[in-house]
Amino acid sequence: MSSETHAGTTDAVADSAPEQTSSFRVEDISKSFRHVQALDGVSLEVNRGEVIGLVGENGAGKSTLLNILTGVLQADDGQLYVDGEQVTFTNPREAADYGVSLVHQEQDVITTLRGYENLYLGRELEQLGVLEKETMRKNAQEFVDDLGINIDVNDYVRDYTFNERQMLEIAKAFHVSQKSDNPVILLDEPTAGLEESGRELLFDLVNDLRDRATFVFVSHELDEVLEISDRIYVLKDGEQVGMTHVEDATTDSLQQAMVGRETADEYYRVPDQRREDQLGDAAMDVDDIAHKDIVGPVSFSLREGEIFGIVGVEGSGKQRFGRLLAGDLETTSGSLTVKGTDLTNPSVSDVVDAGVGYIPKDRKSEGLLLYQSVLVNTSLAMIRDMNENMPHLDLDVEQEETERAIEELSIKTPGPNALVHGLSGGNQQKVVIARWLAQDTPILVMDNVTRGIDVGAKEEVYRLCRELTDRGVSIVFIGDELPEVIGMSNRIGVMVKGQFIAEPFDASTGNKPTEEELIQEMI
Amino acid sequence: MSTSSVSEWITRQREQRTLQDWIQDLGPFVMLFGLIVVFTLTTDQFMSEGNLLDNIAKNAVTLLLVALAGTFPILQQSIDLSVESIVLLTGVVTVVAIAELGLGLLAIPIAIAVGMLAGLFNGLVFTKLKIPSFLVTLGTLSVMAGVGKIITGGSTITFRNNAIRAISNGEVFGIPNLVLWGLLIYIGTIILAFRTKFGRYCFALGESERVVELAGAEVDRYKIYPFVLSGLLCGIAGVLLTLRISSASPNIGSGLLLPSIAAIVMGGTALTGGVGGPHRTILGVLVIAVLNNGMNLLAVGSFVQEIILGLVVVAAVALSIDRDKIDVVK
Repeated sequence: MSSETHAGTTDAVADSAPEQTSSFRVEDISKSFRHVQALDGVSLEVNRGEVIGLVGENGAGKSTLLNILTGVLQADDGQLYVDGEQVTFTNPREAADYGVSLVHQEQDVITTLRGYENLYLGRELEQLGVLEKETMRKNAQEFVDDLGINIDVNDYVRDYTFNERQMLEIAKAFHVSQKSDNPVILLDEPTAGLEESGRELLFDLVNDLRDRATFVFVSHELDEVLEISDRIYVLKDGEQVGMTHVEDATTDSLQQAMVGRETADEYYRVPDQRREDQLGDAAMDVDDIAHKDIVGPVSFSLREGEIFGIVGVEGSGKQRFGRLLAGDLETTSGSLTVKGTDLTNPSVSDVVDAGVGYIPKDRKSEGLLLYQSVLVNTSLAMIRDMNENMPHLDLDVEQEETERAIEELSIKTPGPNALVHGLSGGNQQKVVIARWLAQDTPILVMDNVTRGIDVGAKEEVYRLCRELTDRGVSIVFIGDELPEVIGMSNRIGVMVKGQFIAEPFDASTGNKPTEEELIQEMI
Repeated sequence: MSTSSVSEWITRQREQRTLQDWIQDLGPFVMLFGLIVVFTLTTDQFMSEGNLLDNIAKNAVTLLLVALAGTFPILQQSIDLSVESIVLLTGVVTVVAIAELGLGLLAIPIAIAVGMLAGLFNGLVFTKLKIPSFLVTLGTLSVMAGVGKIITGGSTITFRNNAIRAISNGEVFGIPNLVLWGLLIYIGTIILAFRTKFGRYCFALGESERVVELAGAEVDRYKIYPFVLSGLLCGIAGVLLTLRISSASPNIGSGLLLPSIAAIVMGGTALTGGVGGPHRTILGVLVIAVLNNGMNLLAVGSFVQEIILGLVVVAAVALSIDRDKIDVVK
């Protein structure tokens, strides 16, 4: 691009005082894919300086809407207005020219480039075909400083923390939409993968930038939406089913609107939790296991039918500890006893053989073969011991087990042979769980098992966990969401620097610790 | 979504097969059929039994075996570029074992074992030294060809033993043995791909090694197997090829690599792994075999044939590839 594009960058954004004019309006947007009506007459209005929450279950049409607003997809029907002017976007660049840009859920930065190079990506300043690196670097640094974002744009993005990368993305969104004096920044699940501190940083930034931009905040985490938004729109099955001012909304009311049914007070089914006297013998004994001096030594004993929660801040080692239990990290000292089998520095295969199934945090890259069928994914672990180590498969058994899992976990799929890719996030996660159920794995290590799935699917996962424990399955429940871990667990270990800070908290029914109590130990 | 709408939703999902899906599935069939129609109309000899069996089918068998060999590494998202050198090496071993060592029928298992060892070597270097398979096999492509050529001493070696030759050259009820062997092995590879753990893990590894690993499978072992199988099938190809012509020259097998990969991809096995399978590879092989034969009958010059073959491959891949599944076209 030419060097004029950056002329007068910062002053263009900084002027206007917030005034209540509709800066962005969507009217009767409809969109269908093949036979699926993804959006059906959705309207919403965003006023200058507002933060708008947009919530809905997976498949409610949030992503489709975001894609239409940013020109990635074109609506079949309906209009978009920016500052009263009717517009059509055929690609993201046109949307950005009108100030509308999206901060992606999956971070969309190139780690092998420097911060400023990412900021100018595709719109580099050049003179006679030579990049004006110095100018870009200087302008970029001024630009992020001006936004109040604390990053060094000269560093390579691979050296940025998760948080800094996100900040860079937000800066990029402002940067591409600087032609507009009031950009509309769409944040798609911005807190996914962020820990508490990162979330606060993000919210502070959004609040600080309120007078310079309008934000649309899309999230599954209703308490976050309530915290940051002025008004909240609810999408359900492609339709806009409600708009409320934040002061009139509660998590319960939102959930109800999203799911369209009464949400139980017993969201986590706490009354169904097994009492101490209902727990069995030790299913797994963890005896001072450690990975170098990074994780551990950690000891605890997991009883049959127990849910043992593990919480901790980012970098506390809780996720690595999960990997250690799964045999995915080298055990440098200590030992693991699973159902009477002693394991010393086990491999993943050893651990699986002993009866431990691991459900990773990132189901798309570590949990699922997205372009294989539900059947292939479900039987992936089971086929190892099929037919007593003979090389052939028993397709009938696979079919039966898969159908049983689909039934039992109510996985919404056209059939056992449908590709996992086409399922919603919640149903995908159920397939990962089904893989271990299909071979009756007695111990499950779950790392953020409800991450990125909608409220309805979360409820089903909670119900499933309770049913499993009733059958004597034990669960190590690692989580970033404190209310969830508190609600689900019998005991909770707080991890700091790879170790449990004290004796695990008792979290039996009626004795649940509060979030504050846990946080005090975590930091 | 309420439970009552689940069945509607399922119906909708089933209806979602687009033109693109049909083209992907039927593309190779249509192309094969089209070629057959064209050559039947433009030449007199094409449809004769002699041409179909002796020229097309027999010539296609070597390519079929090599393409089937290459299918499995590609399914698991690696690649075996050394296939044609293994054919050369095992072919030479077969002839030397018969003609110079006088081992008779024993030559066959020996040659096949050599092929498997070559494949095992590829697989071990690939997994244990963690070198990308295309680099490993690019190296062994050269190494194994060199070894084979040294054994020949640089000239064609021949043998005379009609009993052994009959394995490849005889016929049953008018169908050449060579073709029967090809079909038998073709069916065998389909069983391997769809009825064994090995096959299942090939597809799974082709999509994500990490997921397979976390499911508890011994990943390294299953990554080596496709190379051993590739060596085995190339060994059989080497044996059948040399028995058929009762000789081995220093350049047998050369020129098989590119058409074999073309056949695999045309059949529908993506170079990105995880989709396709040996059952489809035969379609690509037949397209290439028919195309070659037809152009020969039409007396198209061999240089022009090269150009046409290349264009057909690109066109077939462009029609059949599923771009949704490829994040970045490299």
